[in-house]
Amino acid sequence: MYPKPIPPSHRTSRILYMTGVWAVLAIWLLPVAAIIMTSFRTFDDIMAGNYWGWPTKFNILENYAAIFQHTDMLVYFRNSLIITIPSVVLVLALSTMTGFVLSRHKFVGSTLLFAAFIAGNFMPYQVFMIPVRDLMVSLGLYDTYGALILFHVSFQLGFATLFMRNFIAALPGELFQAARAEGASPMQILRIIVVPLVRPALAALAILLFTFIWNDYFWAIVLTQTDAVKPVTAGLANLRGEWVSAWNVISAATLFVAIPPVLMFFLMQKHFVSGLTMGAVKG
Amino acid sequence: MTTPRQKMLERWTPALLLAPGLILFFGVIVFSAFRTFWISLHEWDGFGTAVYVGLANYRELWTDPQFWMSLKNNAIWLVVFLLAPPLGLAIALLVNQKIAGMRFAKSLFFMPLVLSLVTVGVIFSWFYDPTFGILAKIFGLFGAEAPALLSSERYVTFAVVFAGLWPQVAFCLVLFLAGLNNLDSEIIGAGRVDNARGWQMLRHVVLPQLKQVSFIAIAISMIGALRSFDIISVMTSGGPFGSSSVLAYQMYEESLFSYRYGYGAAIATVLFAIMLIFIVWYLANLLKNENGA
Amino acid sequence: MAHFTLTRRSFLATTAAASVSLSMPAIAQSRELVMISNRGNPGQRAALEKIAADFGQSAGVKVSVNNMDHEAHKTAIRNYLVASPPDICFWFSGERMRGFVERGLFADISDLVDREGWKKVVPSMSAVTVGGKQYGLPTSGTLWGLFYRQDTFDEHGLTPPETFEDLLTFGEKSKAKGLTPITIGTKNMWPASGLFDHFNLRINGLEFHQALMEGKVSYTDARVVKVMNTWAEAVNAGLFTQNATSYAWEQAAAALVQKRAGMMDLGLFIKQAFPKDELDQVRFQLFPTVDPSIGRFEDFSVDSIHIPSGAPHPEVAREFLAYFYQPDNLKAYIEPEGNVPARTDVDLTSDPLVAMATDALKQVDGTSQYYDRDTSPDVAQAGLKGFQEFMVHPDRVDRILPQIERARERAYGAL
Repeated sequence: MYPKPIPPSHRTSRILYMTGVWAVLAIWLLPVAAIIMTSFRTFDDIMAGNYWGWPTKFNILENYAAIFQHTDMLVYFRNSLIITIPSVVLVLALSTMTGFVLSRHKFVGSTLLFAAFIAGNFMPYQVFMIPVRDLMVSLGLYDTYGALILFHVSFQLGFATLFMRNFIAALPGELFQAARAEGASPMQILRIIVVPLVRPALAALAILLFTFIWNDYFWAIVLTQTDAVKPVTAGLANLRGEWVSAWNVISAATLFVAIPPVLMFFLMQKHFVSGLTMGAVKG
Repeated sequence: MTTPRQKMLERWTPALLLAPGLILFFGVIVFSAFRTFWISLHEWDGFGTAVYVGLANYRELWTDPQFWMSLKNNAIWLVVFLLAPPLGLAIALLVNQKIAGMRFAKSLFFMPLVLSLVTVGVIFSWFYDPTFGILAKIFGLFGAEAPALLSSERYVTFAVVFAGLWPQVAFCLVLFLAGLNNLDSEIIGAGRVDNARGWQMLRHVVLPQLKQVSFIAIAISMIGALRSFDIISVMTSGGPFGSSSVLAYQMYEESLFSYRYGYGAAIATVLFAIMLIFIVWYLANLLKNENGA
Repeated sequence: MAHFTLTRRSFLATTAAASVSLSMPAIAQSRELVMISNRGNPGQRAALEKIAADFGQSAGVKVSVNNMDHEAHKTAIRNYLVASPPDICFWFSGERMRGFVERGLFADISDLVDREGWKKVVPSMSAVTVGGKQYGLPTSGTLWGLFYRQDTFDEHGLTPPETFEDLLTFGEKSKAKGLTPITIGTKNMWPASGLFDHFNLRINGLEFHQALMEGKVSYTDARVVKVMNTWAEAVNAGLFTQNATSYAWEQAAAALVQKRAGMMDLGLFIKQAFPKDELDQVRFQLFPTVDPSIGRFEDFSVDSIHIPSGAPHPEVAREFLAYFYQPDNLKAYIEPEGNVPARTDVDLTSDPLVAMATDALKQVDGTSQYYDRDTSPDVAQAGLKGFQEFMVHPDRVDRILPQIERARERAYGAL
């Protein structure tokens, strides 16, 4: 492990180290603190420009309750889960497959294909608006979960393939040679060698994909229009008005909406264990 | 013993594995990219009839002062965003310890990435507000007047990039955390035996193993720098008068506010062409590296 | 592969074309109404939902109201009107409506308007009329002008300026008292273009303003230059907020509320910036005259409600409009927002700000909507940006006007 772990016996160093981490974190999270404070303020306070001072009145319950009173947040929340989870799973599966082939099988045009995946990544996605909308309309998917899932899976495949290909390419080549020498099929290699070894990568990728898809708002407004399918970001935006936005309620909603990705990160960390060391011992 | 049928199947496995991803990616993304280029050759408001104008949009772009301003700002974004990978690595190294509470601390470091960019943008613009902002309050303590950064044609881009950098660092942090956990402990152990320490250890033993991740982090930061637009939209609307606009925002503005889809598509195509330089550079480096190793 | 679930709506949309034979009767019988609302005010949203629910109950219709935020809706409407229109939607009247009408995206409801005799009670019906036909119903409008606090004025012995000269004196006086004469935040650009409207309407009148908005006059015309010169005089006299581009209207309004500024040029929604118990101090004044020979012309932005021409249930939609437009319902809908009702038989003057605006409207000889609602989006964007720059650098006028003119020429053709 790097950096060198501080052994559990050094209690003082561990406490000191953690104190240091929290100190850095305090600075790092200043803007989050501001969002939390804003979510406690009254509307009048914000209109009066009291962004950084002590709130004249704490409006905690009202603000957080307003999220659910003013929008169908729970419906949107459910929709977001319905859209995000299958998308993430599909991208993980497909990109492991494409990444594996592109890193371990040389064929004519493989570099070009890989380049295409990277290139798709680099496009500013807003320009796809009209073509993608038209495509979804002609597929009969416009204003359905399917439209968002299909788009997110296709679009995130670019980044995910780049990511997985590089991680798989970084695995020691001897493992693959040994497996082939023993007559393992590509499918077996993928299942038995690659997947366990790239677990940390898959965990990291899952976190990132979940965050990106969960946070998407642009495609939500381009591809959906009924509340029954719109994701949580639309609910967040619903709190904004033509002239006036209640930033206190929006801040509260922002924190609420951020819970699933943070939770996801927290839970996924246990998969951040080195798959390589376990495999290398056996191999 | 493998039967001929199995052999056949094995030969085709890579193709079968590749197929679903390829179909989706080419069917949706690459197809749309080509249509975008096609649109860029037209004068189109997004839903009327499109008029073919050849390269007129590109010619107009060349003489559009806003285009050059956006391009310059993109360069600033690019340079500042390259700070994200080292900063992300630094935090990753800091938190890559197994101490009680660290998992929770890590999750908090990750937080900037998950917050709605609109809210982040609003908070940062409150930070800079010349009357109510915290910056103004700090300057006020010393009896000075804070600079109105978001009104300054010269500094506004830096003020916005700073806000955009925050989530980007969290992004790189996740990448490096995954990378650090994929290190080969034998090599690290060997390095320790050789008495490599601190900077040397990082430079000569750890970083080479993080090459792949670093590549991704750099590429993603570049993409992020070139693609960013929402935080600009919230903090300045590209202003004052276009001086904080970038190509992605200008494209958004032209297509969605001015309803000039053809022109917006032309900006996108140019942006893509610029990115192509990075893609080629990136691929060349990547392949050279792999073949070398 | 993923199994894509179709929602009921898209199912209807996609099958509608193909299912003329089989499923048609079933669909025709189930009375349904789909609405897309862009209303942001929570009170107004609740009122709309109640009206919709009441209508649904009395007419035996299944009503669904879908909410969108105002900004996103501007993008979304261009998608959904083409891809899968609802039965009812909200939009702006004037030029922005005309764009959709010209493409046949909004339904003609003239017969409904005639049948209900609405023209007699709705003076702003012209705002939804194209070629003599009505394509929507005005709901309410906001009148733009100068707001101030009576207590601030009393404290400093200020009086509301009637003429441009008064305005300049007012500026000197307020500055001497340490006030920002006119607080403005141009971060979101539109407040600056409101000033352009005021000056142009005061100097060149409504007819010229409309011609300019419709692209029939060049932005480099001497009459436009004259407007800019007068405006520059006001800017150079230090009438407006320093670093205005750093502020949205909310922060600028805070200066007015906190008695650090004299006046603010805004619509009725300014009341949101005031604590409730200070609203009784708020006063309204039309923008000062510049050329006394020109009538009182003002920006009065009208919001409206429409039936898309592709609406799946147009008959139900018409029923709903008739219900919605009943004075009581319209009143319940407008009240939370506090705008001037489109119907003269809806009385909202219990709201003091609406009362002031309604009163002021009586002196008004004619109205336009607002800069970015009156002209083509392309020109509007160039203008918004140009005017924002102008208020910081009035000396750049020689570069700014030709720039807007280029957009005008692109949108409307060479003159």
